[in-house]
Amino acid sequence: MFDFFAEMWSFAFMQRAFVATTVLSASVAPVGAFLVLRRLSLAGEAMAHAITPGIVIGFVTAGLSVLSLLIGGLIAGVGVAVLTSLLARKTILRSDASLASLYLIALAAGIFILSAAGSAIPLKSFLFGSILGIEDASMVLVGGVATVTLLSFSVLLRPLIVSTCDPVFFEARARWPWLVDQGFMLLLVLNLLAAFKTLGTLMAVGLMILPATAARYWAATITGQLVLGFVFALLSCWIGLTLSYIFPNTPSGPAIVLVAGAFFLISALCAPLGFGRKSRKQSHKDITSLT
Amino acid sequence: MQPVFKVRDLSLGYPGKTLFEHLSFSIESGTTLALLGANGSGKSTFVKMMLNLLSPLSGEVIWPAGRPREIGYLAQMAEFDSRFPIRVRDLAAMGAWGGFGMRRRLDRDGHMRVAAALEEAGVLGIADQPIHTLSGGQLQRALFARVILQDAPLILLDEPFAAVDQHTEAHLLTIIDRWRHEGRAVVLVIHDLSSVLDHCTHALLLGGGEAAYGSVNEVLTPKRLVQQKYMSESQAAWMFRDALSDTKKDTSYV
Repeated sequence: MFDFFAEMWSFAFMQRAFVATTVLSASVAPVGAFLVLRRLSLAGEAMAHAITPGIVIGFVTAGLSVLSLLIGGLIAGVGVAVLTSLLARKTILRSDASLASLYLIALAAGIFILSAAGSAIPLKSFLFGSILGIEDASMVLVGGVATVTLLSFSVLLRPLIVSTCDPVFFEARARWPWLVDQGFMLLLVLNLLAAFKTLGTLMAVGLMILPATAARYWAATITGQLVLGFVFALLSCWIGLTLSYIFPNTPSGPAIVLVAGAFFLISALCAPLGFGRKSRKQSHKDITSLT
Repeated sequence: MQPVFKVRDLSLGYPGKTLFEHLSFSIESGTTLALLGANGSGKSTFVKMMLNLLSPLSGEVIWPAGRPREIGYLAQMAEFDSRFPIRVRDLAAMGAWGGFGMRRRLDRDGHMRVAAALEEAGVLGIADQPIHTLSGGQLQRALFARVILQDAPLILLDEPFAAVDQHTEAHLLTIIDRWRHEGRAVVLVIHDLSSVLDHCTHALLLGGGEAAYGSVNEVLTPKRLVQQKYMSESQAAWMFRDALSDTKKDTSYV
């Protein structure tokens, strides 16, 4: 057993993958928690696909650099967000339908351009991630995004809590309520880009949503939600990477997301707020023991 | 009694739809204003205008003593997320987060104020329960504790009794009375006319393209309530039957 881990960690790419995903877990956990609590889980998924053409165009025109990934992804993410809100306000479509339409176009365009340009990167690792692809620049990107995310949350946490729980109360009291919404969407796009190398564009949002939904079944407070979400994300990454190492042909994204999915299913079955939930009045006695 | 909020020649509505025009009145400290009207008459719009969330079509909004830094506010329950993972105590404490002082934790005095507010609202015993376990009435009490902690000179309550039982309503009305006695100005969006008569000093009746302001007795006349489409003629005749038979008033409006 010990030999197995010693061998796995003797590879530089595995060391990088473990470090990168550990930092990534700390970064995506709070974003995922608020995606779930703000009922934006599906919007987060759509946004992950929506940034694809930006990443691809950046890659095709400027090569595989972190800067091209960041700029392309940010332009595509912000572009789709702005277009979605325009469509929702100026046309009959609601925002979910607008976002769905746009992300489908964006994803198709991304894959089309990638294939047409005869990319050197296999489509599979683009969509589903590859632990081999984590070079120095990607490590810097993950570290930078995690730093920005955690610093932002130290300022945004209270406003986010109030605006999520009671949006009208928040809007009435905050001087710039839009700042919280837009700031959060920006953090979402940044974290999707940071997760892109390990998890791929299709799976990036999985590490945000599944640990957060699993934690939601256990946590009675926002602190519990954030801490448990991080623990589930971290364990998913570590176990997922190990699985991906054991089965060399499996991309790391689905392996990590599958483990997170297992945490979700187990939580849904066993946790106090899952299927095991007692009647509303009794359940709080169990829940209050957990923070 | 000091004027806290004034409007002059106010018209309110949305582009293409005017709810009412030419309203001038002021809200004074130590009064409770009932904001009445049928659905869609502009009650919530008026509250949102007071909160600066939307602008009037025309007219002037004046804050004689400056806009208060803190305005106590209880929104309608529709947009509140009652499944959010937060305890009653922390929900109420949001009221003491003035300006969302980001990182600062509540000090000892702050914790005592939270406990006192929870006790007054009648939810201290369930302070550590997550809000998703609460009944509608308990949740509204917790939100009242939050308004208490806002400690504001002006308090806006948008249909606070929509989902609570009579007992809770009576309890919460005593808190509203205390606010008035302390010299705060309270604006209460409400439908129950008997509570208006017992607990409000003034009324603003919206509807039928008009806005009528005055003391409760001046505004709540059967003629006006029918005219401004707050109730039907037969409802008014039934509700004011005693007053009408006592005084043998002309009932030609019914």
